[in-house]
Amino acid sequence: MKISRWIAGVAIALAGLEAGQAADDKPYQVADGNKVDKATLEGWRTWRALACERCHGPKQEGLVGPSLLESLRRLSKQEFKETLMKGRPEKGMPNFDGSKMVTENLDGLYAYLKGRSDGAIQPGRLEELK
Amino acid sequence: MATKLSYTLGALVGCTLASGALANGDVIKQTQNSSQWAMQAGNMQNQRYSSLKQITKDNVKDLRVAWTFSTGVLRGHEGGPLVIGEMLYIHSPFPNKVFAIGLADQEIKWKYEPKQDPTVIPVMCCDTVNRGLAYAEGKIFLQQADTTLVALDAKSGKELWKVKNGDPKKGETNTNAPHIFKDKVITGISGGEFGVRGFVAAYDINTGKQVWKAYSTGPDNEMLMDPDKTMTWTDGKMAPVGKDSSIKTWQGDQWKIGGGTTWGWYSYDPKLNLMYYGSGNPSTWNPVQRPGDNKWSMTIWARDVDTGQTKWVYQMTPHDEWDFDGVNEMILADGVNVKGKPRNVLVHFDRNGFAYTMDRATGELLVAQKYDPKVNWATGVDMKSGRPQVVKQFSTQAQGADVNTKGICPAALGTKDQQPAAFNPANKLFYVPTNHVCMDYEPFKVEYTAGQPYVGATLSMYPAPGSHGGMGNFIVWDAGAGKIVQSKSEKFSVWSGALVTAGGVACYGTLEGYVKCVDANDINKELYKFKTPSGIIGNLNTWQYKGKQYIGVLSGIGGWAGIGMAAGLEKDTDGLGAVGGYKELNKYTQLGGVLTVFSLP
Repeated sequence: MKISRWIAGVAIALAGLEAGQAADDKPYQVADGNKVDKATLEGWRTWRALACERCHGPKQEGLVGPSLLESLRRLSKQEFKETLMKGRPEKGMPNFDGSKMVTENLDGLYAYLKGRSDGAIQPGRLEELK
Repeated sequence: MATKLSYTLGALVGCTLASGALANGDVIKQTQNSSQWAMQAGNMQNQRYSSLKQITKDNVKDLRVAWTFSTGVLRGHEGGPLVIGEMLYIHSPFPNKVFAIGLADQEIKWKYEPKQDPTVIPVMCCDTVNRGLAYAEGKIFLQQADTTLVALDAKSGKELWKVKNGDPKKGETNTNAPHIFKDKVITGISGGEFGVRGFVAAYDINTGKQVWKAYSTGPDNEMLMDPDKTMTWTDGKMAPVGKDSSIKTWQGDQWKIGGGTTWGWYSYDPKLNLMYYGSGNPSTWNPVQRPGDNKWSMTIWARDVDTGQTKWVYQMTPHDEWDFDGVNEMILADGVNVKGKPRNVLVHFDRNGFAYTMDRATGELLVAQKYDPKVNWATGVDMKSGRPQVVKQFSTQAQGADVNTKGICPAALGTKDQQPAAFNPANKLFYVPTNHVCMDYEPFKVEYTAGQPYVGATLSMYPAPGSHGGMGNFIVWDAGAGKIVQSKSEKFSVWSGALVTAGGVACYGTLEGYVKCVDANDINKELYKFKTPSGIIGNLNTWQYKGKQYIGVLSGIGGWAGIGMAAGLEKDTDGLGAVGGYKELNKYTQLGGVLTVFSLP
């Protein structure tokens, strides 16, 4: 069970990498601002399910938590993942290593937020790119 | 002088301790001395009324700041100061500091700062409010964020006992003030957005030993409910709830993560020996995922204080589809005229936009009317079944998951949230701080993981359309007739607890940071206004010291109003949303944490 989850994670990571290479090193694919690849879509769903907007704002512009539009310009993918997994409890950022949805969709979440930060993906509801 | 007085107090406490039966008398006696403010709501009935009358509608314009005090914390400051004898006790949000301040010289007599694991902060996402302290028999009670309940020596600040009330690893935290009824300290739990199973618990004030604990959902014995004796409004009369009244309204064992948390303001009727409180939303916010009435979330509860047994219940919002928590304060008032008869009632201004008037002894539903004309999710409450008549267009269940149901009034934070109303015994009317906000609500499927958010809906909030453009009203309510008597519009939600006094003034705070006092007989006559250092979500309390009446309030923007609410500042769907109501708060206020105390010159 655990192993298959890990493999799935790797698979998504690889898929993300390929998509990224295909689109000028961007980890997401997007059309019309609101149609995105499957992994990025799942990333947005993860963002929504874990209620990230309660701290970071519905448009990632920052509320009690920092603006992710800014943070994603600074953080490396590795730093991003570490922050998600370990949290920053003293600042109010939870550790999401206990969430299956986050661990399985870490790359998609990164892709989604990167797309938001780049201004390529619109805020709000997304659809799958066909 | 100070020493002498506290000695006398000490001796009194000694006597009370010696005979347990008198324990009940202490807090009530303290609250009957109008020079003090001995409970967060001023009295057991949750009335937020003071018989002090030095400050009147004629001289309130001359109020000035007597002194101020910074808590050193920049977060949402809810609750207010307690004043007992020579001392004022004030708390802060996380890390939940407690200060005992001498009224004579404003010196910090003692300070207490608990050590709490910071991992509790994210579980409180997004604000770490605390609604204040409680006092009884020479002890100060603090309900920490991490659920630790502490008793401190009121004179020295020394820890007397502490007990763990919940588990933050499961998303259980505390924001509520503890309530002292008889010889028990009663507390609840927060975490409705983390799939917590709500409960209230009673601890012995002298030892911290748990006396009883009662859940909001689940098997009858765990809710302390008697299928034959616990009553509820059924077909126009009171009838027993019957066996498994909660479990059979949930799919499978969803009741185990079913919410119904209990972070509001409780009240107590000493004659009936009943305590009253409300339970919150069922988890998750996605109604499609949890079929059934989800009892007893969204419910008014009456329990025997000694045993915890449920005398009666009334569910206001069966199968919640909007996050209309039922936790708001339960105000007890006598002689309220209902259809020509004076009744001893419980009055509750629910998040769902209806104000309920109940016979507090029996639990009969007397009145249920909208206290904001914009409320649209239900046409009314059917007085026979007691159920709201839901409008399909605004039913997020009927519209379904992954559909954005638009234009629901009120928004999830309710026509009123926890900000408590006041009752004026002089005219038997209620002074109610309200929100005037509507929302779009899109539920979606979520999985439960212990300690992780379990919300399942995306919301967008904005000022009530087709109205005055503001997001709040301060209203006067007739609970017997179920009618708004007067309404004063406010730019932002009125998120501060109101105060009404025998001097004929009603006072409240605003999110911009103003303290406002109005004529209690004509609230549109604004008599006094002062800008405190930050937005106000605290409650106004009053006391008298050395012949002078004071009014005190905490400033410190935060809570849902100041932070979560900002989430609704623009409608995503609008693209360039120009609504921007709450965004404008930035123009008026920044974070803060200050107690401001007023008096006449």
